[in-house]
Amino acid sequence: MDDRNIQFMFWGLATAWGLLAIYVVMLAAREGRLKKQLDSLKRMIEEKQ
Amino acid sequence: MAKNIRLGLGALVGMLLLRNLYIILFNLPDEMEQGPVYRIFYYHLPAFFAAILCYITALVASSMYLIKKNLRYDAIAMSATEVGLAFAAVNLITGMIWGRISWGIWWAWDARLTWALICWLVYFGYLMLRQAIDDPTERAKNSAVLSIFAFVSVAITYKAIEWWRTQHPGPVLSIRTGKQLIDPVMENMLYMNFLALATLAVLMVIIRLNQEEMQRQIDGLRRRAHAI
Amino acid sequence: MVFLQIAAKDLRSELRTKESLNASLSFAVVILLLFSFAFDPSSEAVAEFSGGLLWLVFAFAGALILNRSFARELPNDCLEVLIASPVSGAQLFLGKTVASFVLLMTIEVICLPIFGIFYDITWTPQALPLLGIFALGTWGMTILGTLFSALTVNLSLRELMLPMLLYPLMLPALMAAMRLTTILLAGNAIAGNDMVWLRLLIGFDIIFTVLSLALVETILVR
Repeated sequence: MDDRNIQFMFWGLATAWGLLAIYVVMLAAREGRLKKQLDSLKRMIEEKQ
Repeated sequence: MAKNIRLGLGALVGMLLLRNLYIILFNLPDEMEQGPVYRIFYYHLPAFFAAILCYITALVASSMYLIKKNLRYDAIAMSATEVGLAFAAVNLITGMIWGRISWGIWWAWDARLTWALICWLVYFGYLMLRQAIDDPTERAKNSAVLSIFAFVSVAITYKAIEWWRTQHPGPVLSIRTGKQLIDPVMENMLYMNFLALATLAVLMVIIRLNQEEMQRQIDGLRRRAHAI
Repeated sequence: MVFLQIAAKDLRSELRTKESLNASLSFAVVILLLFSFAFDPSSEAVAEFSGGLLWLVFAFAGALILNRSFARELPNDCLEVLIASPVSGAQLFLGKTVASFVLLMTIEVICLPIFGIFYDITWTPQALPLLGIFALGTWGMTILGTLFSALTVNLSLRELMLPMLLYPLMLPALMAAMRLTTILLAGNAIAGNDMVWLRLLIGFDIIFTVLSLALVETILVR
């Protein structure tokens, strides 16, 4: 029983960190995507000018 | 320059969180009845406060948008709501895991969990509405109004749910929050972790805001690129 | 009282075809039928959630009616014309709220005896207080629902978004209405501790009526 107690504690703490980490990864992914779009658009405009 | 500030802040938050985690795992005593599982609480409650902070920010930003009509406020409201949902999810799920051991069940329809779920659904609805509207001004206007309604409703529901659940005594006792923790060491850690998570929330909102700004730049450039 | 004219116009147009009314009413009866399979109507326990059941039916039927509220103005650009007209947004909104309120109350008043028959519940002793609670709860639903009808009118997933946004936000009113209705259906009067629910319902109605009237112009102005 005590073992299960500690197990769930780890799962709980892991979830807290995990969920936040997932959100950070989502933010990072979006940042990368936006940066790529921005760069390609800037290049496209420079080429056309 | 702004990027360096963000990196610096991020590093600071990371260090604080790690330091807290170390203390939580090794230095703090066990709670009398619950054993080590209660340590989840050190994330469960601060995440809740961080989420509330975000929602209040969203309310203020939405109101400011309706007054000033500056789309920057709309971006703040959206970012704050999104980050708030992330922390609210942490609150909900850690609550369920903790409850599985403390109460023996994954879910209980007690006042706080129920209210937390409603809150999450309401603000998720806000994001869903935003997704459905394309025009930026329409989206900003409508979601700002929804945000204000959401906050008022959620505030009223808090009280209503308390009355509802106390009249129907459930199979579980609601977990008493920080106010009754007499051990100052524990209380201190709660505040420290709240500081860490709140700062993290602010950082995330700033990053998200920045991304909204980038999106706006992209939209503008796209129009120019196709016009040439 | 321009809003009364708007309400009359909506009601007249609805009564001509009775489209919404028939659909909502049949839908309500079908749900009552389905619930009779989900919950045993003859058991003692029904008395405990009778109010809840009834208000679920009203909520589902209400979504159908509220959806039509602003959506009926979409063909032929009627909505644009109404917004551009000298009628203030608040009057337009209030008029539509009143129209939906009348339609929904009609459905509720018809559903009540049907419910009484299906579930063997005598509701006559507290009939007038029941009507009062119906009115208060329905007002809460229609004031919020009409606002969301305006908000979602241009969305493609309107039929889904309206209930999705409306139901969680009207929960306090729904809870209060459910609780009070259960009490009245059991034949008791509302007294003592239960008054808090009545106050909640009235408070909810007042707060959201004021809030809606204040903010509806923002939504309607293009």
